Amino acid sequence: MYVYLYDNFLRQKKHDSLIKAMEVRLTDYGISGKILRLNNFTDPKQIIDEEIRRGAKTIVIVGNDATFGYVLSKAATCNCLFGFLPVGPNNTIASVLGIPEGIDGCDVLSKRRKERLDVGWMNNRYFVSQLHVPPAQIKVIYDERFAVTTKDKMEVVVCNLQPFYWKKDKKDKTSEVVHPQDGKLEAFLRPLTRRGWWGYKYEEPSIFPFEEMEILSNTPFTVEADGKVSKEIKVKIKLAHSKVEMIVGRNRKF
Amino acid sequence: MIFQKSTSKNIEQEVETVANFTEPQADEVETVVGPSVNVEGDFASEGNIIVKGTVAGSVHTSRFLSVEPGAKIMANVRAGSAKIAGEVKGNLKVRDSLELTSTAKVAGDIEVKVLSIEPGALLCGKVIMPGLESADGRPARVRSRRGEESTVPAME
Repeated sequence: MYVYLYDNFLRQKKHDSLIKAMEVRLTDYGISGKILRLNNFTDPKQIIDEEIRRGAKTIVIVGNDATFGYVLSKAATCNCLFGFLPVGPNNTIASVLGIPEGIDGCDVLSKRRKERLDVGWMNNRYFVSQLHVPPAQIKVIYDERFAVTTKDKMEVVVCNLQPFYWKKDKKDKTSEVVHPQDGKLEAFLRPLTRRGWWGYKYEEPSIFPFEEMEILSNTPFTVEADGKVSKEIKVKIKLAHSKVEMIVGRNRKF
Repeated sequence: MIFQKSTSKNIEQEVETVANFTEPQADEVETVVGPSVNVEGDFASEGNIIVKGTVAGSVHTSRFLSVEPGAKIMANVRAGSAKIAGEVKGNLKVRDSLELTSTAKVAGDIEVKVLSIEPGALLCGKVIMPGLESADGRPARVRSRRGEESTVPAME
């Protein structure tokens, strides 16, 4: 049995026609199911657990990157198969998973090509695509073995599914791409150095594949994991191997 | 004509999708210590390591280690193979081949199978190479002083 979790923004009229068309396609394939709408105050884990208890086998997330991150950050531990139908703007994870946007996503869903994905674990929740720490004075400890520091501020990006795009400077038109490896998380550290009186300049990034890392600071720093922002003093990041079972497309990038 | 156009487009699209699919496999991530980054502790990696900053403690990799010009390693190093163009203060134990470029500065003992030293490289320490046995059955040791080239012949 299929259960579809619709993001709240899909209530907007501009998405109506696409949603209708997708529902028709899903009915044609015989994989239509119960539709639940997510709100800001609903806990996706509770909903999914309840639906699994009622016999749901496949949970399909319908929305964008924020929806995907919001659901899986809580529900990664649920024992079910996840699917994803990308709709609307800000859909970058879908291309990594090889799921086309719009109606074509239903075709991928119907083929049920299953793959187990690694997810990152941060303090008390999971993240699927990326974790970002904007420039701050921090210290990073890897696998409790070595520490990485810089003289000034440092930006940290931890990639799991999503590739990391960076530019040497503002004038640099070609953005460098680093693709995530399997079985490890990749941390990209970009130190900032003072440039004259004003502003900072980004240095060349350092890359460390790891399984466990800690980010420490004396002052609270911002952490953005799958679109959710929080302030932390200490962040412990781990890799949870093959945690989520997901329906992916043939053109996936891993 | 219409049919010809459509087929060529299809082929182009197919080529694009194949290129997109194969792209990530060609790109391999390795450990990179960037400039203005300090690493302290037991720095170990299973993959290749490129050092452009400063490392203190110990460095260990079973694969390739590259120390770029301007980089500083104040640690004992163990690697599968290595290319040194920066500064190393500590003992080097390399399984296969070690290359010291003209900008290299090494202060420490070296244990390696194949050693290549470019003119201009600075080396202060003992060089131990297995394969060349001395009279007492121990591996041959070559002592070199700072600023002098090693007596071990350069190997390509």
